[in-house]
Amino acid sequence: MATPPYRMWDVVERASTGPFCEQQEFLTKILVPKLKEVIEKYGIKYDPHSPIPTQDSLADRVWEAAVELFRDVGIYNQDTHRRITFSDKEILEALSCTAGEYNVGIGKDSKILQHRGVEDRTPPFVIFSPDIIFDEEDFLTACIAYLKEPLLDGFCAPILEESMGMRIQSGTPIELAGSLEHAMSLREAARLVGRPGVFLVAVGTSQSDASQISVSDPEWGVRTTDSRLIGSITELMTNNSMMNKVVHCQQYGCYVANLTGALYGGYAGGAEGTAVLETAYHLNGLMVYQSHYQMNFPYHLKYFSNTTRELLWVVSVYSQAVARHSKLVNVSNGFANAGPGTEMLFFEAAAHSIASTVSGANLWEVAPARNKNKNRATPLEARLAAEVGHAVARSGMTREKANEVVNKLLGKYEDKIADAPLGKEFKECYDARKGIPTEDYVALYEKVKEELFEFGIDFPY
Amino acid sequence: MNDEQIRTLVQTVVDGETNAAIKRAEEFVHTNGDIDLALKELTEGMKEVGERFEQLEIFLPEMMASADAMKAIMKIFLPKLKESTGVDTSKGRIVIGTVAGDQHEIGKDIVSVMLEIFGFTVYNVGTDVDALEFIKRADEVGADGIAMSSLMTTTMAGQREVIEIMKEKGVRDKYFAIVGGAPVTPEWAEEIGADGYSDTAAGAVKLVARLVEERRTK
Repeated sequence: MATPPYRMWDVVERASTGPFCEQQEFLTKILVPKLKEVIEKYGIKYDPHSPIPTQDSLADRVWEAAVELFRDVGIYNQDTHRRITFSDKEILEALSCTAGEYNVGIGKDSKILQHRGVEDRTPPFVIFSPDIIFDEEDFLTACIAYLKEPLLDGFCAPILEESMGMRIQSGTPIELAGSLEHAMSLREAARLVGRPGVFLVAVGTSQSDASQISVSDPEWGVRTTDSRLIGSITELMTNNSMMNKVVHCQQYGCYVANLTGALYGGYAGGAEGTAVLETAYHLNGLMVYQSHYQMNFPYHLKYFSNTTRELLWVVSVYSQAVARHSKLVNVSNGFANAGPGTEMLFFEAAAHSIASTVSGANLWEVAPARNKNKNRATPLEARLAAEVGHAVARSGMTREKANEVVNKLLGKYEDKIADAPLGKEFKECYDARKGIPTEDYVALYEKVKEELFEFGIDFPY
Repeated sequence: MNDEQIRTLVQTVVDGETNAAIKRAEEFVHTNGDIDLALKELTEGMKEVGERFEQLEIFLPEMMASADAMKAIMKIFLPKLKESTGVDTSKGRIVIGTVAGDQHEIGKDIVSVMLEIFGFTVYNVGTDVDALEFIKRADEVGADGIAMSSLMTTTMAGQREVIEIMKEKGVRDKYFAIVGGAPVTPEWAEEIGADGYSDTAAGAVKLVARLVEERRTK
C-alpha cells in the first residue's frame, strides 16, 4: 500500500520561490475572485430542497471547479508570503499515484482505511472522537469508554486543558508535558481495553510543531501505524509550523491527515463556495502535505456546526466530487449543535452520518454542543452515527432515499438550531468508572433508533 | 440634490464599489455637501450591512468590500469634519489580535471589520502575538481597549497572560480587555478577569461600544 508521491523538498522550495503577495491580497484579490469565477463558470448552485443532491453532474462540476481553483490559486505560506502552486500535470500525476487504501493500526487491531464511492456498500471506516477538552482526571476513563465501542475503527482522544495541575499553553513546556501525558494515557487506555494496536489519531493537545514532534515514539507514543492531523489555515493557507510537522511525519513514517474546515459565511461565501473549497483542500492534502487521508469539517460561521441544511449539502457535494474523481480517502467530521443527553444530538449525528456515508465519505463522529463546551461529549452519540453509517452502506441506500430521510431528520431539529440545548456532561450521561452509559441515556438512544428505523434506516440489530 | 447625492453615495458604499465611492465622496466634498448628514446615513447603511452579515444574508467578502469602501471615503470626510467641528470623531481605539501560539485569524478579522464598520479605529496586530506586544501597541496608539482572540483551548491561556502582564505593569485600568474565539466561554472570561466576552462579531461591537462609553463617562 503505497503512500502519496513524496515531493517534500520541492514543496518546501516552492514556499520560498513561489509568487509573492501579502496575505490580505491573497485572500481578497486572488482567492475570493477566483472562487466566484469558478462557481459561475461551472454553474454550481445550492438547492435547499436537496440536502443530498442526486445529480452526478453537480459533483463533477464541483470537482472541475476545485481543480481549477487549486491550480490557479495554490496554497499561501503565511511565513514566506508566497504561494505554492502546481501544474495540471503534477496534480494528475499525484492523483493517479494515490493508493486509495492504507493498512492502519497494528496486529489484530489492524484495519483498512480506504477510499469509498458514492452509494458504496462498503461500511465507512469510523473514527470515534469527542473533539473537545475533558478534565484531566477524566481523560483515561473517557478514553476507555470510547475504546470499548465495537464499531470503533480508530480513535482520537479528548484534548487536555491541564497537565499536572497546570493550565496548558501552546508553545510552552507545559504543552509538551500535556502532550506526553495525552499520548501515554491514550496508549495505556488502548492496552487496558485490549486493543493495543488500535489506530490512534494523536495528539490533539499538541498545537505547536515542537509538541507534535515530541510524541513520536513506538513504545509509549504515536507509532508509525497511527496518524497525525496537520491543519490548513482558513482559507487555503499554511505556515512553516505546519510544514515542520509535515516534514517530521514524513520522515518518521506515520500517517498524515490534512485537517480542513472551509468556513460557510467566511471567505468561502455560501454553500457553493464552501463545497468547492472543501474539495480543493483535498488537493492541498495530497500535493502540499502528502497526506494519506483528508479530515473534513466544513462548518457554519454562526453556529460552528455542520448539521444545518446548507452544510449537509456541502458535506454531500464535496464528498461526491472527491469520491467520483479520485481515490482520495475522505473522512467526514460531524459538528453538532446540541449537547449529549438530548434527542437533537442523536438526530444531528444521524443526519451527518447519512449525508457523509451515502456520498462516499468515511466517518469521524461526533463533536457535540458546537465543539466548545468542556466534557460535553460521550461515545453513545458516536455509536449511533457509526451504526447509522453501517446501516446506510450495508443496505445500499441511494442518494434519493438518503435525501428523503435527511429532510425528515432536519424536520426534527432544524428550527431548534439557533437555541440548541447544551445537554449534559460525560459524567452525567455515563457511569465513568465502568465506562458505560446510564440507563436513561441508553433509553433515549433506543427511542431515537426506533424512530430512525421508522424513517427507513435498516439497522441490522 | 444633497439627499440624492447621499442616497447614491450610501448605495455605492453598501455595494462595496470603492473607486466609485471615492469619486462620489470627492464630488460631495467639492460641492460642500452636508458631511454630518452623509455620515449619519452612511452609518445607518453600514449598520444594515453588519446586520445582513450577522444573519448571513451576505458573506464575508461582501461585508469586507463595503467596509473597504467606507474606510476609503472616511479618509476624505474625516479631515473635513475635524476641520469644521474641531472634534475627534473616532468612537474609540481598539487593539485586536490572536494570542501567542495561535495562527487563526478569520474570527478576529471579522470582528475587526465589524468594529471598523461601526466607526471604531482598529489596530489589528495579527496572529501569534506576544502578550507584551498587545500592551505596547495599546500604549503606542492610545487605545481604549485590547481585544484578544483564541481558537484553540491550548492557546486560551495567552489571554490570561495579557491580563496578568497588564496588572504587573500597572495598566490594568488603563485599557479594557475583552476575549473571544471558538473555545472561549463567559466562565473563562470571568475566571481570567476579562472585562467582557462575546461569541459573535455583532456582540463584540456592542460590548466594545458599551465599554468605550463607560470609559468616556467616567
